[in-house]
Amino acid sequence: MIDVYRALFVGQIQAASQYRVQSILWMLFAVIRPVIFLAAWVAVAGAQGGRVGSYDVRDFAAYYVALSLVANLATSWNSYEFEFEIRMGRLSPKLLRPLHPIHYAVVENIVWKMTTIIPMLIVLSFIAATFDARFRSTSAHLALFVPSVVLGAALAFLAGWVVATTAFWTTRVHAVATLWDRAAFIFAGQIAPLALLPGPLQTIALVLPFGYMLGVPAEILQGAVDVPTAIVLISVQAVWVVIFYALLQVVWRVGVRQYTGVGA
Amino acid sequence: MTDAVVEVRDLRKTFRVSERQEGLAATLRSFVRRQRRDINAVAGITFGIEAGEVVGFLGPNGAGKTTTLKMLSGLLYPTGGEARVLGFVPWRRENAYLQQMTLLMGNRTQLVWDIPAADSFRVLQEIYRVPEDSFRKTVGELTELLELQELVHKPVRNLSLGERMKVEFAAGLIQSPRVAFLDEPTIGLDISMQVRIRRFVAEYNRRTGATILLTSHYMDDVVALCKRVIVIHHGQLLYDGPLADLAERMAPFKVIVATLHDGAAADLSVYGTVVARDEGRITLKVDRQIAPERAARLVNDLGDRLTDISVEDPPIEEVIDRVFSGERVGTAP
Repeated sequence: MIDVYRALFVGQIQAASQYRVQSILWMLFAVIRPVIFLAAWVAVAGAQGGRVGSYDVRDFAAYYVALSLVANLATSWNSYEFEFEIRMGRLSPKLLRPLHPIHYAVVENIVWKMTTIIPMLIVLSFIAATFDARFRSTSAHLALFVPSVVLGAALAFLAGWVVATTAFWTTRVHAVATLWDRAAFIFAGQIAPLALLPGPLQTIALVLPFGYMLGVPAEILQGAVDVPTAIVLISVQAVWVVIFYALLQVVWRVGVRQYTGVGA
Repeated sequence: MTDAVVEVRDLRKTFRVSERQEGLAATLRSFVRRQRRDINAVAGITFGIEAGEVVGFLGPNGAGKTTTLKMLSGLLYPTGGEARVLGFVPWRRENAYLQQMTLLMGNRTQLVWDIPAADSFRVLQEIYRVPEDSFRKTVGELTELLELQELVHKPVRNLSLGERMKVEFAAGLIQSPRVAFLDEPTIGLDISMQVRIRRFVAEYNRRTGATILLTSHYMDDVVALCKRVIVIHHGQLLYDGPLADLAERMAPFKVIVATLHDGAAADLSVYGTVVARDEGRITLKVDRQIAPERAARLVNDLGDRLTDISVEDPPIEEVIDRVFSGERVGTAP
């Protein structure tokens, strides 16, 4: 399997190198939304004497810088890609090879993240400096951030595949994926840090998986939660990963039987 | 079942499709209540293919050819019936099966567009776990047979359709499959590229002994490659046997072409049905049984007026066309 991955990585890096500019543009596009929210919260905080709940302007800056980094590392677009692959018949040859199609997506995902991480860090450093971001994280937070962001990425990826698999039934997964993304927008910590969501929404966010993809790793990186809480949150992330892994096994097995090789 | 490489028994596939009339009202109605209809793409076919055979799979568009190939390669689950390829149930898609099989579709790509084919070959080598020495040998052979030297180092998107098809062939055969399903392998290619692909398939079969089932709308592909053909129509098997016997079975007439000095004026309708007349060259359709006798009579009666005469089976395209248009029992005087 290591050899397969090495070969897939080489191929994918070559393919990605053809689209460097496009990658950078996508990355910048992904940063715009958090920056807008950051600017909005800065304005709100300014109007309320510098604070909203436990967050001041510098905390917001740290949170949205952390969230942008996590979003870059943990978001996956596979459900959109997958629909395209099914409609264009590109999935068929992959299904007929002795390698599960998910592995190509894993590699694509990781390569995309590798090619955008450096420019991303430069942009985020600039934003952090501009807004004077204050990170409260200790070295323990930084150590915990690594497993947390890996689990967040795994969870977003697996959940994305579960959503994508609905394409076996509908062939049009866009609507489902968009609905999913809208839910993530509210509950993953993009519109506001989870700690600032109104009571009931916060409870819902803690029960749903979305926050464990982005918000939780961002809060750990920012140092917004203490170390014991971080460990609990990471455990919950791990549970969600196991749940979505199991769910994917089931929906894939059933879905692939539905597959009619459309357009293939 | 026998020891055949491909064994198919009563294989069926029904697709459920939604239908609606054109127009806004019908569109709105379809939101609430969908009309669905079952289409029997493959309606119970049975056949077997022995190791090393090259079999042509013929039928008009929508006959069920591609659906059958997709089931045999493992892409589709059948609605009913059984199939085994190399002893495996294809749609279980066991790795041991996938490693010995390929499905090549002329109008689909499986290569990564942005990188040279040589790099895709490496990825496929790892996926199929082809040892380095066999990989080098196979790629060497494929490069030679398909004349790929110049092509494998260019990004696939920079290749012409014909060039890409050759590279696709190579990519589909990296694992040296024992069974190859080829769906319209020469579609969209110019004549010389078609000839090359044909030659390649024949040579590949000869060198490796691979079993090949191919569909094509170009009868030249079938004539050049397949001794045996399977004809399906509306998902049902119409004919399975030697290509040479297809005309005999499906078109019970022969074609006599007589060339005369003064052909423009001659009336040969007493010898058979005149189907074409081109200056002195007259084409007659004659019942198969009496064709030799009619030809002899023509030679006898016309004597010196005749410059050339031939008795042939009707062109294979015509035979197939008759089968598909339901004119199976062609009548001739």
